[in-house]
Amino acid sequence: MEHLELFFKSIFIDNMVFATFLGMCSYLAVSKKVSTAVGLGAAVIFVLAITVPLNWLLDQYILQPGALSWLGDEYAAYDLSFLSFIMFIATIATMVQLVEIVVEKFSPSLYNSLGIFLPLIAVNCAILGGSLFMQSREIPTLGLSAVYGVGSGIGWFLAILAIAAIREKIRYSSVPPALRGLGITFIITGLMAIGFMSFGGMLTGGDEEAKSEEKTAATEVIKEDVKSDTEVKTNLDVAENTNK
Amino acid sequence: MAKDSKLILDPLADNNPITIQVLGICSALAITAELEASIVMSISVLFVLGVGNVVISLMRNIIPSKIRIIVQLIVVATLVIIVDLILKAFAYELSKTLSVFVGLIITNCIIMGRFEAFALGNGPWRSFLDGIGNALGYGIILVIVGFFRELLGSGTLLGFPVLGDPIEKTGLYALGYENNGFMLLSPMALIVVGIIIWVQRTRNKDLIED
Amino acid sequence: MAVNTEKNSYTVIFAIGMVVIVGVILAGLFSWTKPMITQNEEIEKQQNILYAMGVNENDESSAVFVSTEVASKEFASNIKEQMVITVDANGKMLKSQTRDEYMAENNNKEPYLIDIKKQKSNAKSGEPRQLPLFIGEKDGKKIYVAPIYGKGLWDAIWGYVAMDKDMVVQGAYFDHKGETPGLGANIKQRFFMDDFYGEHLLTDAGVFKGITVAKGNADPKNENKTDNEVDAIAGATITGDGVTAMIKSDLKLYVPYFKSLKN
Repeated sequence: MEHLELFFKSIFIDNMVFATFLGMCSYLAVSKKVSTAVGLGAAVIFVLAITVPLNWLLDQYILQPGALSWLGDEYAAYDLSFLSFIMFIATIATMVQLVEIVVEKFSPSLYNSLGIFLPLIAVNCAILGGSLFMQSREIPTLGLSAVYGVGSGIGWFLAILAIAAIREKIRYSSVPPALRGLGITFIITGLMAIGFMSFGGMLTGGDEEAKSEEKTAATEVIKEDVKSDTEVKTNLDVAENTNK
Repeated sequence: MAKDSKLILDPLADNNPITIQVLGICSALAITAELEASIVMSISVLFVLGVGNVVISLMRNIIPSKIRIIVQLIVVATLVIIVDLILKAFAYELSKTLSVFVGLIITNCIIMGRFEAFALGNGPWRSFLDGIGNALGYGIILVIVGFFRELLGSGTLLGFPVLGDPIEKTGLYALGYENNGFMLLSPMALIVVGIIIWVQRTRNKDLIED
Repeated sequence: MAVNTEKNSYTVIFAIGMVVIVGVILAGLFSWTKPMITQNEEIEKQQNILYAMGVNENDESSAVFVSTEVASKEFASNIKEQMVITVDANGKMLKSQTRDEYMAENNNKEPYLIDIKKQKSNAKSGEPRQLPLFIGEKDGKKIYVAPIYGKGLWDAIWGYVAMDKDMVVQGAYFDHKGETPGLGANIKQRFFMDDFYGEHLLTDAGVFKGITVAKGNADPKNENKTDNEVDAIAGATITGDGVTAMIKSDLKLYVPYFKSLKN
């Protein structure tokens, strides 16, 4: 359930293109034809699905404050979080080039259709954005991080597919000459983003924590444990006295 | 000499990184709700792109082409982290203001785009000029978008109320004018950029596509 | 010096060389600047706490901290006590310690340096959570400052809320790591933080309700202080929801302590 929720959330509500505006450059530059858009979109899904879990492992076992404690207690105090940017970027760039080499070697036909997009992906900020969101949103498990990677990739894929299809059709419309191409694409993307904002209504009111809390909080406060209350009070008296 | 000035002037209009080269869009959308943030971001990019272009240009003959993308990314990230750490240690207040932009600069494709397209094939001085020119061209669009979004969205410029007070109903607001909160949302930045492109291409017919 | 930059061996050597150089530069720089950064962060925490309880140098429109030079002196003179309350995962109060007791147990670590984020994740995994509470005095009234921590749109948000003994807000400070400039980032602006002053965290019946950052608030000038609502920032819904959530979840934990004050 948790996985499913995160999956749909990352596709629609937190859509990489329309909600966070990441990966815009390649989105605008490579959306002239549906076929190329599909190629790039597939490559993005693939790379996000690999790099987000990989960076999750890096973050969990190397970068976070105290993450090195599996090496022994004396390493527990190290905080390497200042390296996260550079490590994430290095992972992404390495993975992209590794994928490029492997695909070229084993499937030349796939390489021909996908190959030219792979270098583009390394500079696609949606990829690094995916890893950074994974870190800042504190995704708890490896499985969830993989789901998040795939979900954001699919969201990006859907977005570029949609705009490419629109751009193929819009050739037959009479757009003002100066607005043709890039200009109208910007405006359509803006309108699509406004449309996607309606998905935000699907999960409102912050996190589940806040919701469940509202229910329990009221009862909890009233029925307070009288015994522990007095215990604490004696403690507090001591505290107050030392205060004065 | 004429060629050198072209390196700076071209990206300001006819070869603008945002409206023509389609680079650095994400940050142009994310931070332009306020004019001040647009200016700060432009200055940061100016610095990183200028220095980064020179560094890459100096290294261009020794970088193995197979791993050049990794090298480029690492150079940007290292530069940004160094600046960030030094600011945190010696100018903490300033670093608080800039910390938001650190991630945006590293992921800004304008930087990678210029490394790849220019600095890898040109000398340090020309690369420096190219970096400055492109950062300025980028900055101009950011400032224009930031100006309109802040003015129409919150009725202020650089934080100063220029249209009166919306709650006390003074100035324009006394006439029944309302702020357009929609301008503050990111989709409107896309539409403002679209309009800038429209204006630009109407003035210079050579840029029209198809 | 003509090097064949296409050879595999060269690529490998270059990669290793670069990793070593970059690693050494960054690690060196980090360990060199670390003490200064830590000190800056400590001072900032003190400034934030002081700001929340009203010790600041605000001018007409912008939020100004007490200067860094006097921050630790002001902190020492204004904050009379730093309590640490320990609660279990269900929010039940286990014990409360004074600063001296806490420091004796924790290698002389000052309570204001407690990492709220870490305490929050401790609580999630079922461990007890330490809640710092800073007690000061202003205009003859005791003021209690509590830290809060949560998530905004992009990244972490946090803050300090100053209350009196009836949990009426006496000041608030919010900050963020990377909210959108001009939108969510405005939670650290005066016009937003000042709205919290005088708001009640409890309902009239004495039940904890928190403060909701409400859109479509019928009270934009924020004159009604007992509606448990402040006006949201236009275009910053998710950041506002984050503020609401962190106030509700974190300040709720202090309710038993404030109850015990009354008895």
